Amino acid sequence: MMEDRTFEHTESEIGSRLLMSRGTRRFRRLGALAGNAVLVTIASSSLIALLFIFYFIVRDAIPFFRLEGFGEFFSGTRWYPSREEAEFGAGAIFAGSALVTVGAIAVAVPMGVFAALCLSDILPFSLRQVVKPVIEMLAAIPSVVYGFFALVIFAPLLQRQGGGMLSIGALIVLVPLSLIGVAVAGDLISAHVSERGRPAARVASVVVLLSVVTYALFELHRFLGGLQIASGTNALNASIILGIMALPTIVSVSEDALNAVGRELREGSYALGATRAETLMKVIIPAARSGIFAAVILGVMRAIGETMVVWMASGNAARIPEPWFNLLEPVRTLTATIAGDMGEADHVTGSARYHVLFAMAACLLAFAFIANLASELIIRRARKRLG
Amino acid sequence: MELKTRTMLDRSFTAVGILAIVLMALSLVVLLQPIFVRGAGAFVFRGTIEYRELRLELFGRGDAAKVKAEAALAEEARGPVYEMMEAFEDELGEMEPALRRELRGEYREVKDLIGDLLGPRPGESRPALIRGQFGRTRWDRTQATLHHILYREEYDHSDQSRMGVKILKPRSEIFAGTALEPLFGRLEADIERIMRPRWTVYWRFLFDESYDAHFFGGIWPEMLGTFYLAFGAMLFAVPLGIITAVYLAEYAGESGFVSLLRTCISSLAGVPSIVFGLFGLAFFINTVGVSSGKSVLAGSMTLALLVLPTVIRASEEAVLAVPRTYKEAAMSLGAGKWHTIVSVILPAAMPGILTSIIISLGRAAGETAPIIFTAAVSVGRPIAFWQALGQPSPALPWNIYNLATEHEAVDEIRHVQYGMVLTLVVMVLLLNLTAIIVRARISKKLRG
Amino acid sequence: MGTAAEGRNEHGEGPVAISGEAQRPGHIRIGIEDFRDEPLSGRRPLILSRNFSVYYGTAAAVRDASFDIPEKLVTAVIGPSGCGKSTFLRAINRMNDLIPRCRVEGGLSLDGQDLYSPQVDVVALRKTVGMVFQKPNPFPKSIFDNVAYGPRIHGMSDRGRLAEIVEHSLKRAALWDEVKDRLGDNALGLSGGQQQRLCIARAIAVEPKVLLMDEPASALDPRSTARIEELIAELRGEYTIVIVTHNMQQAARVSDLTAFFYEGSLIEFGETKQIFTKPRERQTEDYITGRFG
Repeated sequence: MMEDRTFEHTESEIGSRLLMSRGTRRFRRLGALAGNAVLVTIASSSLIALLFIFYFIVRDAIPFFRLEGFGEFFSGTRWYPSREEAEFGAGAIFAGSALVTVGAIAVAVPMGVFAALCLSDILPFSLRQVVKPVIEMLAAIPSVVYGFFALVIFAPLLQRQGGGMLSIGALIVLVPLSLIGVAVAGDLISAHVSERGRPAARVASVVVLLSVVTYALFELHRFLGGLQIASGTNALNASIILGIMALPTIVSVSEDALNAVGRELREGSYALGATRAETLMKVIIPAARSGIFAAVILGVMRAIGETMVVWMASGNAARIPEPWFNLLEPVRTLTATIAGDMGEADHVTGSARYHVLFAMAACLLAFAFIANLASELIIRRARKRLG
Repeated sequence: MELKTRTMLDRSFTAVGILAIVLMALSLVVLLQPIFVRGAGAFVFRGTIEYRELRLELFGRGDAAKVKAEAALAEEARGPVYEMMEAFEDELGEMEPALRRELRGEYREVKDLIGDLLGPRPGESRPALIRGQFGRTRWDRTQATLHHILYREEYDHSDQSRMGVKILKPRSEIFAGTALEPLFGRLEADIERIMRPRWTVYWRFLFDESYDAHFFGGIWPEMLGTFYLAFGAMLFAVPLGIITAVYLAEYAGESGFVSLLRTCISSLAGVPSIVFGLFGLAFFINTVGVSSGKSVLAGSMTLALLVLPTVIRASEEAVLAVPRTYKEAAMSLGAGKWHTIVSVILPAAMPGILTSIIISLGRAAGETAPIIFTAAVSVGRPIAFWQALGQPSPALPWNIYNLATEHEAVDEIRHVQYGMVLTLVVMVLLLNLTAIIVRARISKKLRG
Repeated sequence: MGTAAEGRNEHGEGPVAISGEAQRPGHIRIGIEDFRDEPLSGRRPLILSRNFSVYYGTAAAVRDASFDIPEKLVTAVIGPSGCGKSTFLRAINRMNDLIPRCRVEGGLSLDGQDLYSPQVDVVALRKTVGMVFQKPNPFPKSIFDNVAYGPRIHGMSDRGRLAEIVEHSLKRAALWDEVKDRLGDNALGLSGGQQQRLCIARAIAVEPKVLLMDEPASALDPRSTARIEELIAELRGEYTIVIVTHNMQQAARVSDLTAFFYEGSLIEFGETKQIFTKPRERQTEDYITGRFG
């Protein structure tokens, strides 16, 4: 083995300057550990906060169930918490929350999904830049302002001209839909006739369907126009306003989902000769359906958790409307009950009146938590599928 | 389906989409237009002589000599009204009992309304409440009260199929033949000379305290409370949020703990705001006892929990968006991890972080439910900074609710409600606008 | 001395790359006294690698590399993309530590000190071994603050001394004349070539002994590339420069020694002149003549 004369192992200044003393090393390591520990602790603040919220809400909710049990709370509809013989039937209140939420979703989802489609596929870039601020503004307006509008401006309007407004609204939606439907139906029907008779068949079927539809719409207009709304603060008012509040959420999450589908799917469909509408309805929306579903869940969470609008504009009557879908009657929601009753209940801490409000809060919390988990799971699974 | 039909469907699909967008924009306009128009009425309105007298007495503003001269002119115009009232009171004493009974109640109503309109007569004792010490200060309220004086509202329920129809009955007919009858016509004709309306700009509406439950004055206590609450919330949320975001972006791996943490953050974002309020009451006030009752401190902490997820999410995005090569360059020069984060990464992420802070500030300012139980009261004086730790305060969101629903004279202070709403909306929209500008300005600096 | 096993070929020329059959792969030595040309003699080896390997997880990016990089010369590392040359470079200043599943085997030493010993202060190492990246990455700060960043984090706060260091570094990097009147301007406003020279100035400012350059001119236009190459020639003799490049002509122009990597293994290492005119290994010849990219 040749002697290693190639270089002298000189411990020159460079090499030794790279070393740190044992003390420095220990100090550095401890410092890193301590720093990490602090960092993790601070970062866990959200986890800690959530745990605390669960604990304290549930802790103060349990005494109610211990005192009064579960049955009456969920199924009973007599809500008289401040009477001598207090009754805690919150069934009507649960129904109220559900009703305004369903109403809000009915308003927000069609409008929101179509708006998202417009933003992702129809509008040119310049218009998109104009529409986005509109959505951001709708999202930024505080809920109490929506509630104020609902109470002071919208409710009197509904009361005075509710029937007319309803009928106009219904017509705006139904007239275009029915015209389209008639045209499509005419086509489908005339497809069963031989070539030569087809034009005549189409005209005939269109005329018949058109007259039927016109008659139906006219009757509807008369019915709605003649409606008398006893009070402007009712489930309809709350539903419409809640729907507008939930719109920005649904639009932005749906738009993200639609954009995530990617150009290839769209190009493939267009290349086969599909129209834009067909591409969107048959290819893109099904591909984005989990994202849209998640958007709807988020919209539901927004609607059900909203307090000020329902407190001010839903009428606050703990009754299930007759019939159940009659939105023109006042209702009461869980959030409004908590906000409204707490003022008096606070002075009697320890009583069922105080704890029942926490019971309601616990139900809201549980629902929000589960809905949130569900929407996360859906998004995560969809993301995995799209690779 | 035929091609024509498919094309028609396609066009109508597009039309429906555009309709959706138009409806959204329309709802924004419908929402904001009355707020802006009527909200402006809190700041710019026609004020009467009563207003100028009030301004002089409560706030010490205005030219005393001029106001006195004007008041004298107004008194002159009011003279005939008072004379007619006195004449009628004499007449009332000499009436036959049946007629007297009928007209006495009616007259009391009219007298009260005139008292509301003109304020106490010179020489009469002053009521304790400030609202009774002055007549109508605004011209729009003047006209409304005048309308009540001139007409009595009745409801006709004769038609069973419809709800009651409102009928207006002129009071001059009720008092026909008495000394009071000409009063109504006189009042209507002379109302401008009696009240002397003039265009006024009351920009101090934002900075004046309120008097007598918002009957007069401004909304400064609410503004101050809102500032305290919003900035206090950010004081707690921003450090927590940025540190958490830095941890998630730079230190955390893909462990189960980290994904649990992320789930918690998004769950926190989904908690209903009223539940935050209850938690604030049960935890911050009743358990930890940061204050012995409602306080701005407890409210700020509750609001901080509300905005924390947003701050974390946006900050993490901003940190992740910083190009990795900055980090590599800094570390290759010998900077340690923490030093790199503080001296290179955070400054580069600033636009995104700042934007999220400004937007969250707007959110914290506008939330009501979390502060109902923890910080808000309906009436109060503006509190000093150190008092904020232990005392509650009025705040814009809560007082908007309160004035619109639980106030005794909801219709009289409509302009105050609208003014508050306008202020809150403008505040939030300005904050959002600032955020957009900040983002554009600083990212231009980053891109050189 | 004269056998192939000992580092010389049959013609008595050296240094020699020894390939697989007779020796363990990568078993190379430079005998300092073997350097013929004047500029190369008298240089001692500074960075020594001994069977050095870098793994990402289970995949080896660098496999058993053994060669010595002498001080104050320019050593080029060439090879097709994915051959491990950047990985090897980043191992010298331990930038690979930033990658989660990266681990090393074998020895890599600087001036006799094993770089991966637990007692080594990585911060001090990076002060001694500077790096310039492929895409210029000045901080979004002023030109002055960019160059002063390094000295500042190592403790210097005297504004006067900082100004001196900044001026000196910018002069060494041949950028001073172009920016001396606008040191406060945002560095991102400079052209690509200027930004890269700024990054070189920034690296020089901490007074390293070694400069690692990872394809420093590949993102630049030809004129800026030429200026960078001039700069490298100027810096040689004061700094030990290790430059990774996929541009063979650049390696031939700029470096004194060249190492050729292929698929993680060091295939040949020697004087640049020799590598590019009479490569020992078949693979080296194939790469240089363009038979594979």
